[in-house]
Amino acid sequence: MSRVHERSTPRLPGGFSLPPFGVHQWLALVIVCVALWALGLLWLGAQAGAQWMGTWQQNIRFHVYMEQDNQTKLKQLARQLSLLPGVASVRIVSRKETADWLRGWLGGEAVDEEELLHSLPSSIEVTPSGDAGEFLYSDLADEARRVGASLNDGERQLVQARHWLENINRLLWFVTLILALAMAIIISNTLRMTLLARADEVQLMRLLGANEWFVRMPFVLEGMLLGAGAGLLAWCLLWPLILGTADWFAALDVNLNGFAPLLPMLFGGAAVGCLGAWIATLRLASENIASS
Amino acid sequence: MADNSPQDGYGLAMIQARQLMLRYSTGKTALSGISLSIPKGGFVYLTGESGAGKSSLLRCFYGGVRPTSGQLKVQDTDLRLTQPHQVRRLRRRIGIIFQDHKLLFSRTVFENVALPLRVQKWKPDRLVARARKVLEFVGLEDRLWSFPEALSGGEQQRVAIARAMSTHPPLILADEPTGNLDIETARRIMDYLVALQRAGSTVIIATHDLQLMETHPGDLVRLHQGALVEELRHVSPLGAGGMDSGIEGMHEPGA
Repeated sequence: MSRVHERSTPRLPGGFSLPPFGVHQWLALVIVCVALWALGLLWLGAQAGAQWMGTWQQNIRFHVYMEQDNQTKLKQLARQLSLLPGVASVRIVSRKETADWLRGWLGGEAVDEEELLHSLPSSIEVTPSGDAGEFLYSDLADEARRVGASLNDGERQLVQARHWLENINRLLWFVTLILALAMAIIISNTLRMTLLARADEVQLMRLLGANEWFVRMPFVLEGMLLGAGAGLLAWCLLWPLILGTADWFAALDVNLNGFAPLLPMLFGGAAVGCLGAWIATLRLASENIASS
Repeated sequence: MADNSPQDGYGLAMIQARQLMLRYSTGKTALSGISLSIPKGGFVYLTGESGAGKSSLLRCFYGGVRPTSGQLKVQDTDLRLTQPHQVRRLRRRIGIIFQDHKLLFSRTVFENVALPLRVQKWKPDRLVARARKVLEFVGLEDRLWSFPEALSGGEQQRVAIARAMSTHPPLILADEPTGNLDIETARRIMDYLVALQRAGSTVIIATHDLQLMETHPGDLVRLHQGALVEELRHVSPLGAGGMDSGIEGMHEPGA
């Protein structure tokens, strides 16, 4: 008895028909997922670092200290500093104000005020403008050095930290590229195994006159789905970490956006899968259709 | 017979070859100076000893190999100059029955037969109906969901015929379609091929089994060591210069 009508939607190869999802595919999905998860984590870390640094830098003030109590020199230096490009405002901080702040910072402990006022240097607070360039710090330091004053070293380190963050970002892009290539090769190897298992089918489709896209499409689709699926899974696996560290980050005034990596991971995964499929089917395409 | 003019009631040429030569990259010359014209609607036997070039000539016909020199036109497609997409288009108009069947053993009989229809983007409704019809034609309507390994050699060959005819191709190429089959099964296979020719297809059979011509007459093209030694002679059991006299002299060593 014919059973055609019992199976009105037969699974036929080629075109938009996906090859079966086997153990190799699951394995590739897990490996790509772990790689994408690690990448997502690194980028979230970079996001947190940028936010933390950004908050800090928004309120940044540079402080110039002058040991000797020479008000004329101090005013002259303040005037010189205010003329530098990238400086929004300059304020001379009185020793009294510095002593009050220091006392507050020390927890209001009893300190001999006379001695404290005597030991503190004169200081100038410099507020950089929004368009302050990367050389502002060295300009300030040069100007201060000229009159025997110095710039707060901790603030110099903050400026350096910004450069480190930029370097880390560049490094992250490099790591992303390398991992993307590794993921593409893993997907490509998986698809290559599928291709080898279905070599007869591919050859027959070619002999029957199938178009190039018709033969390659199932493998490209599988690669895309593998990558996108791994991306989605990796994104889901980021959440326990995001939620688990939320309080700690909140204390640092950092608010991580867990949804930000979703689209990059989804489409990045799909793109990596496409690349893998392209590598896997490269030899397919180069096979001559009619050569002697 | 190298022109394109109608002859013997067959109409225009389906295949035209002039001084066709095929040399493989190994240096072996498979075909040398083949000139022939096969008319549309013909039933042609391509005979010769093993290694005579029958399979190579068939491969040339469907664009499996590109001739080294000469001219070859199949359904007005010049296979010496053609682009890959033109070869694909040509293949969609040819039904091929391979010597080793080339059935997909991981697919059902239905899926094997439906594959050419799928390649040609038939809609599912028409595809199912057509696959069923051709399997009924070869008497395998009850084996639709069987896998080829569960079929006998004769049944596998019938599946291959069903697949080759599924898209109504004007040209059917069969490479040793009765090889390793018993006489009765071979006769049945030949009956199907004759029926396809009667339905309007041109059928070209590469074989060294000349006994087939006793029951299923057709035109004869004979190859020997890659060269044509006899071009399109009609052989029939009853006709003058027919089967009996023709076959006796055509038994090659080892055939």
